[in-house]
Amino acid sequence: MIITDILTGALRSGTSVMLASQGELISERAGVINLGMEGSMLAGALGGFAVTVWTGNPWLGTLSGGLCGLIISLIHSFLVLSCGANQLATGLTIMFFGIGVTSFFGRSFVSEQIVGFNPVPIPILSDIPFIGDVLFNHDPLTYLSILLVPVLWYVLFRTRLGVIIRAAGEKEDVLFASGINPLLVRYCAVLAGGFLAGVGGTQLSVAYTHSWVENMTAGRGVVAVALVIFASWRPAMAMVGSYLFGAAQALQLTVQQQGWPISTFFLFMVPYLLTLAALLIVERRKRSSMPEALGNVFSADAGG
Amino acid sequence: MKAGTSLTVMPVRESFLSAGRLRKIGLTITVFLAPFVLYGLFLLCYEVNPIELYWSMLKSTFGSLFGFGEVLLKATPILLTGLAAALPARAGLINVGGEGQLIIGALFATFAAVFFLDSAPSWVGIPLMLVFGALGGAVWAGIVAVLKTAGRMNETISSLLLNYVATHTVSYFVHGILKDPAAFNWPYSPQISWQLRLPTITGTRLHIGFILAILLAAVVWFILSWTKLGFNIRVLGGNKLAAQRTGFRINWMYVWVLLAAGALAGIAGMIEITGIEGRLRSTTGVNYGYLGFLAAWMAWNHPLRLLFTSFLLGMIAVAGNTLEIGSGLPASSVQILMALVLFFLMGIARRLRS
Repeated sequence: MIITDILTGALRSGTSVMLASQGELISERAGVINLGMEGSMLAGALGGFAVTVWTGNPWLGTLSGGLCGLIISLIHSFLVLSCGANQLATGLTIMFFGIGVTSFFGRSFVSEQIVGFNPVPIPILSDIPFIGDVLFNHDPLTYLSILLVPVLWYVLFRTRLGVIIRAAGEKEDVLFASGINPLLVRYCAVLAGGFLAGVGGTQLSVAYTHSWVENMTAGRGVVAVALVIFASWRPAMAMVGSYLFGAAQALQLTVQQQGWPISTFFLFMVPYLLTLAALLIVERRKRSSMPEALGNVFSADAGG
Repeated sequence: MKAGTSLTVMPVRESFLSAGRLRKIGLTITVFLAPFVLYGLFLLCYEVNPIELYWSMLKSTFGSLFGFGEVLLKATPILLTGLAAALPARAGLINVGGEGQLIIGALFATFAAVFFLDSAPSWVGIPLMLVFGALGGAVWAGIVAVLKTAGRMNETISSLLLNYVATHTVSYFVHGILKDPAAFNWPYSPQISWQLRLPTITGTRLHIGFILAILLAAVVWFILSWTKLGFNIRVLGGNKLAAQRTGFRINWMYVWVLLAAGALAGIAGMIEITGIEGRLRSTTGVNYGYLGFLAAWMAWNHPLRLLFTSFLLGMIAVAGNTLEIGSGLPASSVQILMALVLFFLMGIARRLRS
């Protein structure tokens, strides 16, 4: 029973991180690191929540949450791609900006209640013991996000579009020579990433917690960036990492419910420590898979 | 005034009034004014008169000794965490962990003050708190250093993630063994004893910690610019391969640079406790780490330019308090203003430098 709870919770609470990490993955595959994912997620969480409150329609909320995330990442892409700003410093400022903007505009939403998305059991499949509860009893966004992963993998590694995106992150001169503007590709990739992060934020506020709390993402955007590195820029691994993070989050609730004598503050740390540990384990063999353009970001001096 | 501070930031390369320089000055002024204009429009939407507000912001920061003291007070931790980002940056490391290093420094300092130094005289207690604060920050940065050198883990990500761990660690202590028994359910530490508090300058809340911060900035500047050690650090940051070929012990240098950076941020935490708050809360020093990183970025990681940029950010932070009191807007709105200023700076940084 406990294991079912944790695994179900892993999906439910890991989905927001998963969507953001898939978004970050697209962006990094095209050669742009977006530390501002935290900002995009927060904007998505608030935007999605607000529209759901106003219209009562969580799908409209999801769309506008995604758009809010996209707008935030537009700032990042403009500063980084058009103005040549330092990617890490810009991302950090965006994170800062996102926290400020959402806590400013979110004040009136703190006590709002919504129906939002609720778990929809899939007929027949959800009746399977254990697996049915873990996999087939979730909110619609979680199902969609699971479908997204193979689609993203297919697009990135089996289509021409994927080659173009990856070329923007690896050999931009080749892309340029073949008549495609790498800048445009990167813009699209970052914006798509921001959209997904926004949807991830919406999942958090509209489907998972059904509420808006100031700074509610609590580092999920940062974790998403870390998970992309952990995943060696592969969608399926990013999904695994996100659910691992989600499981650690779910563990908190379970432990509290069971009344086990473990400090809650230690449990709060576990997801971050787990992310660090996961990174440490894969770190040694990931260098070769890093998109080349990213190498420049991390090796350039932080002031650039 | 804002433009003036930024000009001092620019390196002199050409004759004083060349066309290129004038253009740069124009650009700088525009960039410094633009966010305030934009923010003014934002304020108008909330029926706040921006001109009145900016005037009261100016008055609150430069109009009185108290206000000016407040600016220096805010600038102090930003300067120290800025150094904690700038020093590793010169060695080619990106330390975004100032936030966690600061609060763990504050935790160590408070822990020492509450449990060991309660009755120690000032001249013993305060320096020991400083040592503990520096130690705490260094321990936290040491984790990043070990992960970097032994685990080859990217320090940007690890230092960022550790910030969240640090916050929960401090929460654990202020809800547990460091909790003030006199405070019913409030999660904060007991007040540290009065003789451990830093002396303040009459008429302000400004404590002598800011002198220490400036001294430390000068020391870091001196080491980086005038010593062989500093030269080696800059070589490592400038060209890692060259440093490797020359036979530097790169990992060793990384460890020491990160430890020093952590110690600087830890001192910022100690100063927050002994200079201002007097007790540890889980919200102590929130955002100072990030602001320090951004101040360092604005100063292109130069310790002396950092004096100006941290002052500037400190000024906006204090002005934010006026904003809260004067116009009823929440404190978060100043974060928006600060981000706007930084966005515009980022937009033109490349052009100003070339």
